[in-house]
Amino acid sequence: MDYRKCASEILTGIGGKENLASAAHCATRLRLVIADNGKVKKSMLEGIDGVKGVFEAAGQLQIIIGTGTVNKVYDEFIALAGVEAASKEDVKAAAAAQAPWYKRAIKTLGDIFVPIIPAIVATGLLNGLLGGLSKAFPGMADSYLFGLLDMFSNTALVFLPILIAVSAAKIFGGNIFLGAVIGMIMIHPNLVNAWSAGSGAETDTLWSWFGLWNIQNTGYQGHVIPVVIAVLVMCMIEKKLHKVVPETFDLFVTPLVSVLVTGFFTLTLIGPVFSQLETWVLSGAKALIAIPFGIGAFIMGGVYAPTVVAGVHHMYNAIELAMLADNGMNTWMPIATAANVAQGAAALAVAFKTRNKKLRSMALPASLSAFMGITEPAIFGVNVRYGKPLVAGMIGGACGAAVASLMKVYATANGVTGIFGFLITTETFVGYLLTFVIATVVAFVISYLIYRDEETVADNGSNGVDSAAEKSAEKTAEAAINLDKEFDDNCVYAPLKGTAVAMADVPDETFAAEVLGLGAAVDPAEGKVVAPADGEVSTLFDTHHAIGLTLDNGMELLIHIGINTVELNGEGFTAHIADGERFKRGQTLITFDKAFIESKGYKTVTPVIITNPDDYAEVKKAANGTVEFLDKLIETKKG
Amino acid sequence: MKTFSYTIQDAVGIHARPAGLLAKLAKTFTSTVTLEKDGKSVNVTKLMMLMGMGIKCGDTVNFTVEGEDEEAAAKAIEDFMKENL
Repeated sequence: MDYRKCASEILTGIGGKENLASAAHCATRLRLVIADNGKVKKSMLEGIDGVKGVFEAAGQLQIIIGTGTVNKVYDEFIALAGVEAASKEDVKAAAAAQAPWYKRAIKTLGDIFVPIIPAIVATGLLNGLLGGLSKAFPGMADSYLFGLLDMFSNTALVFLPILIAVSAAKIFGGNIFLGAVIGMIMIHPNLVNAWSAGSGAETDTLWSWFGLWNIQNTGYQGHVIPVVIAVLVMCMIEKKLHKVVPETFDLFVTPLVSVLVTGFFTLTLIGPVFSQLETWVLSGAKALIAIPFGIGAFIMGGVYAPTVVAGVHHMYNAIELAMLADNGMNTWMPIATAANVAQGAAALAVAFKTRNKKLRSMALPASLSAFMGITEPAIFGVNVRYGKPLVAGMIGGACGAAVASLMKVYATANGVTGIFGFLITTETFVGYLLTFVIATVVAFVISYLIYRDEETVADNGSNGVDSAAEKSAEKTAEAAINLDKEFDDNCVYAPLKGTAVAMADVPDETFAAEVLGLGAAVDPAEGKVVAPADGEVSTLFDTHHAIGLTLDNGMELLIHIGINTVELNGEGFTAHIADGERFKRGQTLITFDKAFIESKGYKTVTPVIITNPDDYAEVKKAANGTVEFLDKLIETKKG
Repeated sequence: MKTFSYTIQDAVGIHARPAGLLAKLAKTFTSTVTLEKDGKSVNVTKLMMLMGMGIKCGDTVNFTVEGEDEEAAAKAIEDFMKENL
């Protein structure tokens, strides 16, 4: 088969590459998303040599090529169509690249600060512990050990620009050691320490920037953004130089020029300009949360969760670091804590109130994780989906934040919120506790009062690959299947609805004698076979009358529709999945025309057989009489 | 080691039932029975894999029997094939 010819004919058949939105493939099919389905010539596609079938499903044009060849045709196809192979990561990356500049900037800031957090946490926790200890034992502050530990506890903040510079150089793709040098230049001991300058130490004017402003010999201790910008500039220069400088000179020219140029501009231009900007942002943030009577904090605590949804919260690290570097008091963190635990509490209320077991099993751990400071599961998994809990969490966060502001709560580090936040708020323990409790209680109560289970909770869960359209189609088709209950890995759930039949009563000696394995059968009331659990198709018979499944729990199942139905040679059976494909519990695998099969004189009683019975100590039928889809059919005990 | 070939005569090939019977038969011997077709081979006792071969009427399959009771096993399997497939 000529893969290239096949691919190029397919491309023509779908109306050219202009009409192609995206392409992917599974084990047997090309899965294409088409811009205008009207331009697709289906009959032409079906006539192409190598194409075994064409159909539309779930918003995709699916072209059946076959195992082992589909990937080759696909490779040719994407080469011809000039589209990139679409993987999930690519799609994500593409989506990220399309994000507006400010979102990318915020994400970059997050990427830079997140790796530094352990260093800040280590010293910040130590700081908190020391604060607590010196309160408990007043004499302790004079001991040499305390002095030593105190020194450790501020190290990361004193040298913060170096940490930031290293992390930024890594993110911007420059040499991290050159980045470190830029950070070091900014806090060089020959410059007057910014903190001392702030408290009145003498500074000299180094130079006047073309008479526009005077350059003071102050360092950049406690600055964040100027460091990031300086390193960004350095990396741009460095990367450019790597390209233009001949290799022979690259080793000495590039580092020298990068550091020289960047260092000069940092101290004369980038530093002064961006530290001023940073001061404004910081004072803006401080002014906002310092609006009297806790009003500012109330507002910020309320909108905090939506900013997490928007992804803007990464830049809060910069604000917190700047606060810490400024006076060691991070007043932002208590607001974050209030917002985070409130979201957790709102999700917890959902967990308590819902009758949906699936939702509960998700909301509970999500809530706990929010109390530990990781809010994304609670916010995205529960609160945003149902709306009301998010609002309840916002109100709770606002109340908690107001308390924090009124009680003047502050933290000695950043990157930690929630329960572990107690460790870095030892100076203001009572205030932090109150913040925590108020935020939790308010959010929980409101969420509990306003949350209601929705009428139709039909989320089958998706495998994340198929389109939303496919999911909703499945939902409608399978609305009757109850997935909203507990499933036990040791049980097999009925893939058909009908009447449970003991294997010994199956009217066929091979099955009845359990030659193929152990299990139970269903005399179907409806011509549909669904997946009893998540797994993969190990064997789909060409005749579609039987399917072998390997479930994720290791069980091998054979579902054999009817007796001797192999003789129908596929007539009356329709497969909805291909060999080797994965499926989710409840997904339709095969449909069959029960009346037609019976009219041909075949029985449709369907044995459901565990074909690896040696792995089980006991297999027994667990249903009598009528079974619905996914009712318990067989119980097993592991051997 | 014993080997032999067999061309499937049965109209529908090795479908679920004969596969089950064949697997069951193979399990009664200590020898390892391997079936090969077009370069793909399976241990005959692995029912799901055996069915996955999709062996049809007219296909020629090669059996390899290896073990202590290979003589008896090879004979029994060959007889089974002739009788059922």
